[in-house]
Amino acid sequence: MIEVKDLVKTYGALAAVDRVTFSVPQGAILGLLGPNGAGKTTTMRILTTSLSPSAGKAVVAGFDVVDQPEEVRKRIGYLPEIPPIYGDMTVINYLKFVSDIKEVPQDKKANRIGEVLEMLSLEDMSRRLIGHLSLGYRQRVGLAQALLHDPEVLILDEPTRGLDPKQILEIRKLIKSLSGKRTIILSTHILPEVSSTCDDVVIIDRGRVVAADTVENLSQRLSGGKTLEVEVKGPAAEVEKALEKTEGVSALKSLGNGSRGVCRFEVTTDGSNDAREALFQCIVRNKWVLYQLTPLGMSLEDVFLKLTTKETAA
Amino acid sequence: MNSRKLMALVNKELIHYFSSFMGYVVLFAFFVISGYFYYLIMVESHQASMQPVFQTMVFILLFITPAITMRLWSEEEKSGTAELLKTSPLTVWEIVIGKYLGVCAFFLVTLLPTFVYLALIIANGSPDYPPLVANYLGYILAAMAFFAIGLLASTLTENQIISAIIAFAMLLMLWVIGAAGDSVQGPMGDFLKYLSVFQHTGDFFSGVIDLSHVFYFASVIFLGLFFSVKILESKRT
Repeated sequence: MIEVKDLVKTYGALAAVDRVTFSVPQGAILGLLGPNGAGKTTTMRILTTSLSPSAGKAVVAGFDVVDQPEEVRKRIGYLPEIPPIYGDMTVINYLKFVSDIKEVPQDKKANRIGEVLEMLSLEDMSRRLIGHLSLGYRQRVGLAQALLHDPEVLILDEPTRGLDPKQILEIRKLIKSLSGKRTIILSTHILPEVSSTCDDVVIIDRGRVVAADTVENLSQRLSGGKTLEVEVKGPAAEVEKALEKTEGVSALKSLGNGSRGVCRFEVTTDGSNDAREALFQCIVRNKWVLYQLTPLGMSLEDVFLKLTTKETAA
Repeated sequence: MNSRKLMALVNKELIHYFSSFMGYVVLFAFFVISGYFYYLIMVESHQASMQPVFQTMVFILLFITPAITMRLWSEEEKSGTAELLKTSPLTVWEIVIGKYLGVCAFFLVTLLPTFVYLALIIANGSPDYPPLVANYLGYILAAMAFFAIGLLASTLTENQIISAIIAFAMLLMLWVIGAAGDSVQGPMGDFLKYLSVFQHTGDFFSGVIDLSHVFYFASVIFLGLFFSVKILESKRT
C-alpha cells in the first residue's frame, strides 16, 4: 500500500532523510519512531506530496508521489504536526470547507460530517469557533479533517499530542479501529504508543532507518539471551554463589539487597534451556524463600535507546 | 478548475475578512474616505460624475491594498494550514485563483457605498452613463491589478508585516516609475511611463474605455497570479 525506497531529502549539505526504505502492507499500522529531528515529519511530508524528495521513490495507494501527486492527495488523510485549522471558523464551517476541497460527494457531505463529529466526540463543539477550543479539541478537529473524505491511507504526525490521558486512550482505540480497511502511518516519540497501537515499527535516527520490524520481533531480537529477575529471601553472599553455579546461568548481577534479608539479582541465561526450574530447585534445596522470578524482555524503550545511542557513538 | 472548490476557497477568505479586526478597519476606512471625498467633490464641483471620487480612491487603494492582501498566503504558511491546502486535491492554480477571487469579493463589498453615491447622482443630475461604466471599470481593474501584486508579495514570506512592506514597495514602484519615465528621454522613457499604473487609469476616468489599457491591467493580473503559482510550486522542493 505504501512503498518507500531509498528516499532522500537534502537541505544543502544536510540530509534530513537519508536513503529511507520501508513498506506498509494494506490494513497495517506502522509506527514511525525516532527522537526529535530524526526526519519523521520530513518523511511524512514527502508521502503526503507537500514536499518533493531529492531522490528515491515513494508510492502511496498505488501512485507515485512525484509523478501523480493529485491521485495521491485524493487518497490520503493527513494530520500534520500542527493541526491545520482556522481559528476564526466554527468547527462545522471548517469541516464543510474541508469536504468541499476534498471532494466529499455533495449529497453525502452532511452525513459524513455528522459521522466524523460523533467519532471524535465533537458534536457539542460543532458551533464553537475553533480558536476558542482547548488544545485537545483542536487536535481532534485536526483528526476530523483527516478522516472526513474516508481516505484509504492515513498519515498522522503525532496524533495524540496535546491530549489528556483519557483522550489518548480513546484516540488510540479509534486509530486501531480504523485500521484493517485503511493503511495507517503514525509518528510518535511516545514509546508505549507504538507497542499499544502499531503492528510494525520503523525507528529512524538522523534521517536513517536504524531498525524496521514487527514490535515483538524487535524487542526479542535485540535482547539477546533471556534475562530473569530473581528475588530471594536468604543470606545474600551465599545466594549469589549458589545461583551463579546453577546450570544454564551465564551471568549474574546483584541488584542490591532489600530490607528483611531480601536480595535481588539479574540473571542472564545462556538461552539453551529454561533455567527457571534449576533456579527454583536450587533455592528450595537451600531452604531459602523465593519471592519473585520474572523474565525480563527488553522494552521498546530499551531498544530505542540502544539503537539511537549506538548510532551516536559510531 | 473546479467551481465547488473555488467557491469554498472564496467563502473561506470572506469568513477570514469578516471575522478579523483588520477586515472591519479596512471597510471602515473605505467607507469614510470615499464618503468624505464624495461629499467634498460634490459640494465643490457640482459635477454629475464619479470621476473625481474614483481618481482619489485608486490612489488611496495603493496604500490600503497591502493591509488587505498581506495575510493571504503568509497566514496560511505561519499557522500551518498551508499543509492542508497543499495536501488536498487542489491544484496550485486553484489555490491561487481561489484566494485571488476571495480578496476581489471582499473588495466588491467596499464598492457598496459608491452605489449610494451613484444613485444620488442619478436622482439629482443627468449623468452620461457610458463614462460612468468606464470610471467603474478603471477603478475595478486597477484594484484587481493591485491585489494580484499583493497576493504575489504574500507568497514570498510567512511574515505578514514583511509581506505588506513588499506589496507596498512594489505598488509604489508602479506609481513612481511614471515620474522616472518623465525625466528619461526616448523609447526608454516611454517604456517606463507605460509601466506606470496611473498612465493607464487616466483614460478610464475621462470616460474612455481603451482596450490597450485593459490589456495592461490584464497583463499585470496574469503576471501576479502566474508568479504566485510558480513561487508556491517552488516551495515543495
